[in-house]
Amino acid sequence: MLLSRFWYGILAIALGVSVFILFVAVQMYNRTGKAAMSDSLSSDSSSVDWFLRDDARKRSSALISIALSPEVSAGLAKASGDAKIDDDTKSKVTAALRKLAEDTDIKFDHLWAVDVNGRVVAGGGFDNKELQELGGYASVADALHGWIRDDAWVWKGRILRVVARPVEKEANGEPVGAIIGAKIVDDGFAREVTKRTGAAIAFFADNARVASGAPESFDKSSLDEITRDLKQLDTNKDYQEKGRSEVRVIGDHLGVVYARLPGEAWDLGAGYAVGRVAVSVGSPFDVLNRADKSDQENVPTKLVILGILVVAGIGLLFSYLEYSKPLAAFRKEAERLAKGEIDMLQPSRFRGAYKKIAADLNDGIEKVSVKGGAPRKAADLEQVLGPIPAQPMMSAFSVPGPGSAPVESPSRPSFPRPPVSERGAPRLRNSGVGPAAPDSGEQVRFSDFQMPSINEPSRSAAPISEEAASSKPRAQPPPPPKRSPPAVPTAAPADAPPVAESSFAAALPMDDDGFNEVDDWRRVYEEFVAVKRQCGEPTAPLTFEKFKGTLQRNKDALVARHNCTRVKFTVYVKEGKAALKASPVK
Amino acid sequence: MDPKTACFPAQESQKPRGWSGARLARRLGLLVALLALPSAALAAANVVTVKGKANGTAKLVNPSWSEAKDPKSHRFTFREPSLTVRPDVRNLTGYLPKELCIVALVIDGKAPAPKVALRMTIAGGRTSPVTLVVAEGQQIQFENLDPFPHKLYDVGAKGFAVVETAASKSRSWTPPGPGKYEIRDQVTPSLRSWIVVESRAVGVGYPDRKGDFAIDLEPGKYKLRGYFNGEPVGAELEAIVAVVPGEQLLKLPLQVGDSVVDAGTGG
Repeated sequence: MLLSRFWYGILAIALGVSVFILFVAVQMYNRTGKAAMSDSLSSDSSSVDWFLRDDARKRSSALISIALSPEVSAGLAKASGDAKIDDDTKSKVTAALRKLAEDTDIKFDHLWAVDVNGRVVAGGGFDNKELQELGGYASVADALHGWIRDDAWVWKGRILRVVARPVEKEANGEPVGAIIGAKIVDDGFAREVTKRTGAAIAFFADNARVASGAPESFDKSSLDEITRDLKQLDTNKDYQEKGRSEVRVIGDHLGVVYARLPGEAWDLGAGYAVGRVAVSVGSPFDVLNRADKSDQENVPTKLVILGILVVAGIGLLFSYLEYSKPLAAFRKEAERLAKGEIDMLQPSRFRGAYKKIAADLNDGIEKVSVKGGAPRKAADLEQVLGPIPAQPMMSAFSVPGPGSAPVESPSRPSFPRPPVSERGAPRLRNSGVGPAAPDSGEQVRFSDFQMPSINEPSRSAAPISEEAASSKPRAQPPPPPKRSPPAVPTAAPADAPPVAESSFAAALPMDDDGFNEVDDWRRVYEEFVAVKRQCGEPTAPLTFEKFKGTLQRNKDALVARHNCTRVKFTVYVKEGKAALKASPVK
Repeated sequence: MDPKTACFPAQESQKPRGWSGARLARRLGLLVALLALPSAALAAANVVTVKGKANGTAKLVNPSWSEAKDPKSHRFTFREPSLTVRPDVRNLTGYLPKELCIVALVIDGKAPAPKVALRMTIAGGRTSPVTLVVAEGQQIQFENLDPFPHKLYDVGAKGFAVVETAASKSRSWTPPGPGKYEIRDQVTPSLRSWIVVESRAVGVGYPDRKGDFAIDLEPGKYKLRGYFNGEPVGAELEAIVAVVPGEQLLKLPLQVGDSVVDAGTGG
C-alpha cells in the first residue's frame, strides 16, 4: 500500500505544484503584460510627442512661402504705419494670403497676418467673429520680435496648434508683421496622429475630450473611461509637475499615460492621453483561450502525452500490485472458503490489510463455530501448527462439554481448532510457510472448548499477545493475567466419574525420573473437575478416559512439534470456566 | 405729362441776391460768435496738450513674454530666431502704446474724483492698455472684443472676482482703494494687466512705439512718471503747464528705463 499512497502523495503534490505554478504564471503573465503595456505606453507617448514636434516644425516651414510674399509684407508694412488699417490694405493682404494658403502642402484651419502692432490685417476671424488683434500672445509677440516658434491655444474648448513666423520687408531689419497659422485639433488630426504613431490618443481640454483617434483593434469605449478619469489629473503629481503622468491603469486592463500639450495649453490643463489595453488573463484556463495556433504548436505534445502515460502507468502498476493482486488472491481464497475447500483463511498468504482481514474472518468463523455454528471438519493442523506427526492426534477439543457438539470419533478429531488468543484473536502459525515452533519452551494453553494458542518461548504460563504469535518477536509481551488459582481438591470428588485407568496406565510408563504421567493426568483431571464444579459447570459427561484422550492428543501434537519429552498440563479458570494449559517440558 | 424740374439748395443759393445792411450785421455777428466759442471753451476747460518723449524704453521687457520664452515654462516645442531679423530686435521689449502708462501726478493734494468710466478692452491675449494708473474711485469697464469668453480676476482676491465675460460683453469694476491690482485671465495665461490706483493721478497718456507721448493737462504743476507692469519706472519729471499755448513740449525726456534721479523740470 505504501507505494500507492506514496504515489498518490506525489501526484497530489505534483498537481498542487502545477496549479500553483499556473496561478503564479498567470500573475507573472499579467504583470509582464502590464510592464509591456507600460513600456509601450511610454513609447506611444514619446512617439506622439515627437510627432507633434515634427508637425509643428513642418507647419512652421510651410509658412515660409507666405512670410516671404511681397504682397503680404508690403501690406503689413503699410498697416503697421497707419493708425487705422484701411480696407484696401486688408483686402490685398487677404487675397494674397488666401492664394498662398492654397498653394501650401500643409493646410491650416486659420491663417492670420498681423502687423507690427499685433492687429489682425487679414485672415478673418474665429468662429464667425472678427478678430481684432493677436499681439498679446507670447508666440505672436515672439514672431513680431523675430522669433519662430509654436504654441497651443485653447479657444472655446478647442485646442489650436499654432505656429508663428515673422514677416520681414528687408533683410536684417525689423519685422513688419507676422504670419500665424493655426490647426484645430479635431478627430481628423487625432486620426492622423494615430495613423502615424499607431497609438490610441485622446486630446482633452477643460476636462473634456475634444478629439480622439484609435487603431482598429482598440476598443473605442475605453476612450470614455479616459474621459471619466480626467478629473484625477488635478491631483496627479507627475502630470502637474513633469507634464506627463505615470502609467495609470483604469479598470483592470486599460493603461493610460497623460501628457500636457506645450504652449498656453500647458497652463490650461489641455493635453493628450495615450491608451493601450493590457493583455491579461483572468484565470489559468483563460490562457488556453488566448493561445493561438503557433502557441499550441510549440507545446511538446508528445512529451506531455508520454509523461501522462508514464505517470498513469506507474499508478496503475502500483494499484495492481498493492490492490488488485492482493484482492484477487483474497477473492480466490474467499471462494475456496465459500466452497468449503478450506475451513479458514491463511493470513500468511495475504498482504497488507488482507492479512488482518483474514485473521479477523478466522476469528469470526471460530466464534460462530463456538456459539454452535454448523459443524465443520477439523482444521488442517499443518496449516495451523506446521508439520506434525500423523499419529497420534490430540486435541483439547475432544474434551466434550455440556451443550457442545457431540464428540467425534477419534478417527476424525475436531482438533485442531484455530488458535484463539485470550482476546479472541486467532493464533495461527505459518503452517506451510514458516518454520515450526522454535523450541521446547513454547507454551501451549488450553481452554475448554477453545482453540489452543501457541505462544512465544517462555516457561511462563502467561498467554502472549496476538502480535507475539506472529513471526515478529515482541520486545515486551504483556504480563499474564493474574488469576487466583482455584483450590485444588486433594482427593477425587465423590461424584467424580469412574476412571478406567488400567490400560491407559500401561500405555503410559513412568519416566526415568519417576514421573508418572497417568497419575499426573489424573491429578490434573481431578483438579479440572473440581474447578469445573467451582465454576458451576457440569462434570458428569467428563470421564477421565475422555479427558486423558484429549490430553494425549494434545501431548502428541506438542511433543511432535516441539520435540519435548513431556507436556505439563495446568488447570486454571478462564472467563468463569475451567481450562487447561499445556506447557511443553524438555 | 410735363416733366417736373428738380429743385436743389445749391441751385437756390446760386440765385442772384443783394446784400442788405441788417443781413450783413447778422453775418458778422455769427462769425464773431463762431470765433469766440472755441476760445471760450478752451478757457473754460484750461486743457493743454503736453508732449514729450520717454527714454530707456528698450529696457522695458514684457514679463509675460519673457516668462514664456523660458523652456521650463513649457510654452513651445521649438523656438528659434529668424536669422534675417536684426538681433537687437529680438529683445522682448514691451509694446509701449499699451504697456507704458505715463501718469501726471499733482504735487499737492488729491486728484479730483473721476466722473467717467475708463475703458479697457480685452483682445488678442492682452488688455488695452496693459497698465493703467487711475485716481481713487475710478470705474473701469472691461470690454471683451475677442470671439470667445474671458474670465478676468485680480491676483490676491482684492475684489475683482472671477466672472466670465462673454464675447462682445463688458463688466465694470472700481478698485477699492490705492494700490496695485494685477489682473489675469483664466482663459488666456499670457494676459497680465495692472491697474494702479494713485490718488494723485490726474491724467495718463501712452507713447507710440518710438516713445513719443502726449497727455492733456490743465495748466499747473505736475510730476510725470512712467508706469510699466504696474510699477513706477524711471524717474519723475516735473512739468509746469502754462495756460498757453495749447500744445506744450517737454524739454527733457521722461526716463522710464533706468532708475535715475529727478531729471529736472520740463516745460
